Amino acid sequence: MKKLFVVLLSLFLSFSLLFARGAKEESVKNEGKLGDEPVTITFWHSASDEAGVLMDKFINSFNETNPYKITVKGVYQGQYSDATTLMKTIISAENYKELPDVMQMDATGKVDYFSSGRAFTASDAFREYEDISSLYIPVALSNWEYQGVNLGLPFALSTTITFYNVDMLKAAGWDKAPDTFKDIIELKKDMEKAGIEAASYGTVPNTPLLANWLGQMGSYVVNNKNGSDSMATELDCVENGKLEEFLGEWKKLYNEGGVENRSLSTNQFVSGEVAVFTSSSSNVSSVLEKVGDRFTVGTSQFIRVNDEAEYGATVSGSCLVMFESQDELRKKASWEFIKYLTGKEVQAEFAVSTGYIPSNLEALESQEYKAKLEENPQYRVAPEQLLSTPKEMKSVTVGPSSDFYYAIMNGVSDMLKNNTDVKKATEEISSSLLSLLDQYRRNNI
Amino acid sequence: MKRKKKDFLFDTLVTLIASFLGIIIIFPLIYCFLSSFKTPSEFLNPKLLPSSFLYLDNFKNALERGNLLRYTLNSFIIAFIGTVVRMVLSILAAYAFTFYDFKGKNFFFFLILGTMMIPGDVLLVTNYLTVSKLHLLNTYLGVMIVSFVSASQMFMLRQRFKTIPKDMREASSMDGYGDLWFILKVLLPLSKPVVTTLFVQSFINLWNAYLWPLIVTASSPEMRTVMVGITRLNSWEDENYQLVMAGVCISLIPSIILFIIMRRNMKKGGLDGSLVG
Repeated sequence: MKKLFVVLLSLFLSFSLLFARGAKEESVKNEGKLGDEPVTITFWHSASDEAGVLMDKFINSFNETNPYKITVKGVYQGQYSDATTLMKTIISAENYKELPDVMQMDATGKVDYFSSGRAFTASDAFREYEDISSLYIPVALSNWEYQGVNLGLPFALSTTITFYNVDMLKAAGWDKAPDTFKDIIELKKDMEKAGIEAASYGTVPNTPLLANWLGQMGSYVVNNKNGSDSMATELDCVENGKLEEFLGEWKKLYNEGGVENRSLSTNQFVSGEVAVFTSSSSNVSSVLEKVGDRFTVGTSQFIRVNDEAEYGATVSGSCLVMFESQDELRKKASWEFIKYLTGKEVQAEFAVSTGYIPSNLEALESQEYKAKLEENPQYRVAPEQLLSTPKEMKSVTVGPSSDFYYAIMNGVSDMLKNNTDVKKATEEISSSLLSLLDQYRRNNI
Repeated sequence: MKRKKKDFLFDTLVTLIASFLGIIIIFPLIYCFLSSFKTPSEFLNPKLLPSSFLYLDNFKNALERGNLLRYTLNSFIIAFIGTVVRMVLSILAAYAFTFYDFKGKNFFFFLILGTMMIPGDVLLVTNYLTVSKLHLLNTYLGVMIVSFVSASQMFMLRQRFKTIPKDMREASSMDGYGDLWFILKVLLPLSKPVVTTLFVQSFINLWNAYLWPLIVTASSPEMRTVMVGITRLNSWEDENYQLVMAGVCISLIPSIILFIIMRRNMKKGGLDGSLVG
């Protein structure tokens, strides 16, 4: 009986080894050279409207011109958050064959992508193929770092800047944009004196805005460098008192009529309801197009909290990441495609047509892009601000990104609506944010 | 005479309130329709009416950029077949729970009702896993299959069937007719208002689905639904609301046609139903 057991066990182990070997052999396919045989890769993107038309054009052009017989199948997967939900669902179901080869992703997908177990990161590609990191704006590349790993290459690059109605400000006696919260209060007073009924500024701080303002004050929102080094667990801004300081400034701005407790953005700006608004630099094109001849649009660096605060704002936009398809040929093809989309020509054309900043340094210096800056000075602010933004200023990377976003907005808005004491509002915001971080940590560890 | 005057005043008041509420409800649709004829700069104008109803660029761009013709066809296939199957299954289940007596009837009924308490989002991954294991990803059936069974519709129909006397079924079986005949010739005509309302509601529900069709057709963009197409019309960089409005107008056409067709049946069925019981 014992003998039989030993024989059966040996057979079982032999089979296990056999299958394990089989699995390993299956894991690496197609080690051939690019160009030897046709290869098709899938690309998920979230480019819609004009950007979607451009993206289709880039994909078609790559398919027609690349010398490696690569065919890219571009699939629009809804907004960034939808694409991230799809990625998470596929990973949870372990149905990896449905994952794309390349995906356009924004900051909300960073943590999920990194912990997917199927990430083939830009750092991996630098190591295995070629290190092309020097081709990109350093602050843009480092924005897609998580736990010391470069997740992807920057594609659509933007930052938050200030837009202002030059004519309205002129009528109020201002020949330049407000620079600090104090300036906005002064501007409002001058607008009232001049009989201008429009609001001076209107927004509700969310995660990126808070990261910008706290970053200017030398603080992160969460620990581990805003979650870029490792998973965020604490609120740096509460521990160093900067959140309370910021909320104090914000409340003062509101109480003195400088800001309205609602989001006044492009449409309100175009229709003359607000004099100043802050938004992504990627909106420059659409703002200029919508305003037309109604008034002159000015742009300037992102508003500062006070005179002591630094200039600058964090990087936003999207990057291109790759997945571990366990097919060497597809991985190489994906890398070629990513290099093409982040290369000089595509980046310059994308920037000129949309208002994004080229992430590629050569594209930034291209004649095409420079001519655009010359023609429309409103475009100049974004690249200048980006290049001068301190590298330490980082966007927030947290697991529960959308809940975090709304918790901040609701917390700040409620403080103004209910006239809550700043200290109490800090405690309330802190408690809701910490609970979100804690919940995420408990669910994912 | 005095009473007549009082009734007239009351009727007028009720009509006025109903008309006012009707306008409030329909106003977003009117606004959407009118805005879809506006140019981008006109859209920011507080005026309700566009300068010309001949400006059709928004419709043209919506159809081209959002691939709305193809996506509308996909939505129709999914919503129509999904609704028909859902109705058939709901009617049969409701019939069994109303007219049959079997062991554990109440237990199973409440078990089915209990599924209504589970939020749809929670089931996303499990449903995806099931559909994936059935090799139904990137197929119309994969998109529709999760909507084939609806506990709420089964419940509504069961409540309606309960108002129909069991004697009627006994009478029909004594005449030699089976369950199917009774359902088709007696039960459904008497339940027309409920059935048609649930049909329209289910159709609109499936028509408006966004996340599930997006997830299931991840590798087959040609199978996407009209709601996914509409999101392609707007972007983070440029809020093209007039384009979205045109897309919404196009997407509303089948639902409105269905409502117009069904409205008559609902009214007729309502009168028929009132004779019962």
